[in-house]
Amino acid sequence: MYDFDWSSIPGALPFLWDGMKISLEITVSAVIFGVVWGTLLAMMRLAPVKPLAWFAAGYVNVFRSIPLVMVLLWFFLIVPQLLRSFFNLDPNTDVRLTSAMIGFALFESAYYSEIIRAGIQSVPKGQVAAASALGMTYAQAMRLVVLPQAFRNMVPLLLTQAIVLFQDTSLVYMSALADFFGAAYKVGDRDGRLVELLLFAGAVYFFICFAASQLVRRYQKKLNAHVAH
Amino acid sequence: MNYQWNWGIFLSPAASGDSTYLGWMLSGLQTTVLLSLSAWAIALALGSLMGVLRTVPNKWLSGIASAYVEIFRNIPLLVQLFIWYFVLPELLPASLGDAFKQKLDPVTQQFVSAMVCLGFFTSARVCEQVRSGINSLPRGQKNAGLALGFTLPQTYRHVLLPMAFRLVVPPLTSEFLNIFKNSAVCSTIGLLELAAQGRQLVDYTAQPYESFIAVTLLYVLINVVVMTLMRHLENKTRVPGYLGGK
Amino acid sequence: MISIDNVSKHYGNFQVLTDCTTQVKKGEVIVVCGPSGSGKSTLIKCVNGLEPFQSGNIIVDGISVGDPKTNLSKLRSRVGMVFQHFELFPHMSITDNLSIAQEKVLGRNRDEARGKGLKLLERVGLKAHADKFPGQLSGGQQQRVAIARALCMDPICMLFDEPTSALDPEMINEVLDVMVELAQEGMTMMCVTHEMGFARKVANRVIFMDKGQIVEDDSKDAFFGAPRSERARQFLAKILQH
Repeated sequence: MYDFDWSSIPGALPFLWDGMKISLEITVSAVIFGVVWGTLLAMMRLAPVKPLAWFAAGYVNVFRSIPLVMVLLWFFLIVPQLLRSFFNLDPNTDVRLTSAMIGFALFESAYYSEIIRAGIQSVPKGQVAAASALGMTYAQAMRLVVLPQAFRNMVPLLLTQAIVLFQDTSLVYMSALADFFGAAYKVGDRDGRLVELLLFAGAVYFFICFAASQLVRRYQKKLNAHVAH
Repeated sequence: MNYQWNWGIFLSPAASGDSTYLGWMLSGLQTTVLLSLSAWAIALALGSLMGVLRTVPNKWLSGIASAYVEIFRNIPLLVQLFIWYFVLPELLPASLGDAFKQKLDPVTQQFVSAMVCLGFFTSARVCEQVRSGINSLPRGQKNAGLALGFTLPQTYRHVLLPMAFRLVVPPLTSEFLNIFKNSAVCSTIGLLELAAQGRQLVDYTAQPYESFIAVTLLYVLINVVVMTLMRHLENKTRVPGYLGGK
Repeated sequence: MISIDNVSKHYGNFQVLTDCTTQVKKGEVIVVCGPSGSGKSTLIKCVNGLEPFQSGNIIVDGISVGDPKTNLSKLRSRVGMVFQHFELFPHMSITDNLSIAQEKVLGRNRDEARGKGLKLLERVGLKAHADKFPGQLSGGQQQRVAIARALCMDPICMLFDEPTSALDPEMINEVLDVMVELAQEGMTMMCVTHEMGFARKVANRVIFMDKGQIVEDDSKDAFFGAPRSERARQFLAKILQH
């Protein structure tokens, strides 16, 4: 049987916590950006202006058909050079975190936009008709009538997608950026205790995500209790 | 930007001498396809079994299946992959563990770990789809099967599962596509699938844009091919006269 | 043939059936009626063990349904059941719907099963639809096929759970005609239904249920002529107005 030795972990906790902070930073920024840009994309896709609809559809379809790994590789290998030459930065500036955040945000907004689009379409068409009949413009109808209703239905799905995003942040490992997983790997590698650290990382992710998804489930039940069926 | 575009780079001989860069890319594509198909076979078999278990009346069995799903859904794929590749060989009984580490060559080790990881990861999602398919069938179908004298396993086999699977072809399609996308994560343990070959191309040629654009297009192509095939499957398995099956 | 003795069933805190007792002799046709929620569907599902019950006994042809040692599948293969929503198997053709249980449960070979299926299909007047799928048939046609499917198993008795409640009015008669024929040929039948015309024609007895209890259990003439309980009277008055 393998000889477990968990002693590396307590001493490494501050370093691991720093990594977790990075994971959370990326998650939060990608969620916020993802919801905002995703909403715009969804509205573009549903808009009567054809070029906008095509652009949005194209964007969403392309980002949803390629792996997140490829998007991150683009943003780790290619975009930093672009950013540096564009902004005339010192070649040593660490743009890894920024690149990661931008990459995640652009990628996840495609998924968010699909959730939001389904939510918007689930609002009965009569609502838009009623809003127009009251004299509201398309933008007002969306903002005051459709989106509030759509969001209430979508929030559990958006939250679930956020949990998925949190798990996906582990992929910044590829750029040697030290998020929680990257930090755990580094500690394990350094101390020769990779097995323990990997299991520890798995357990931490499990507890966080499981607890979060249970909260979302409870929230979903509460939402459904209020809706008149 | 002083970038020199050179699309001909793909046809130049590779640094290793035995192939062109295009050859590298195609070899990566082949690995991706083989990996995804074999993982999908595992995912379908295991996921269907677990999906059925989640719907049976026995609380123990459905509880185990529930726990199974929760474990694979709440740990990131990358972490799962590393656990399969680095941790599991250490935890296996000494003979199996050593056999894995010493008798198999590194590439096979990577492939097997990647295949098993993707298979189990996706099976949890397939389980949920199958479960929701079975649960969406009218309750009377199970009763009708039982009333004719079928045992519960027979009812699942002849009545519930044939319909449930036809119902879940669309969501299963998207899980199938996800395997292809998730296979890219396996590049992190050194497996030379498509994304990894893309990185190799960037390292060895001076043409990062061409390399990445080509690899990205190949992923889009995989997507298109799979979706077309699944649409054919959906048409073939359509139940005449059933809802949405006109 | 069927003996229901002091059967009670509760679902959590909700008492679904209370002390139900009745008998169905061979060749008898019993109609069970009552308002919704009276437990009549539940009672009939207890007869072939689709619903478990906590106390009492149900004996079908000498076999105790509630006994844990009873082979329920075997019993169910001898008791035919027709459901409110037909419940044909949508992914199989009509012929396959009729033959699958014969082959897998009774062990008949494929030709024998198909032959029997076609014969019964003809009896319910639907031979031309043998190769179609359930989704392509109307409700009335589906229900007739469902009756044929149950008959293919050569049942000793038939249970009907509101067989016409889900049908459009113009299709009710085609199904009732089949059921009347069946009754006149001597099949033992227990039917949950609102179709009082059917009851008057072929029923031997009528059972009236309310709130999980059997309130009346009379011969047909007694029930329609002079129901003893107030609840049955009210029920009949409302139903027979149409």
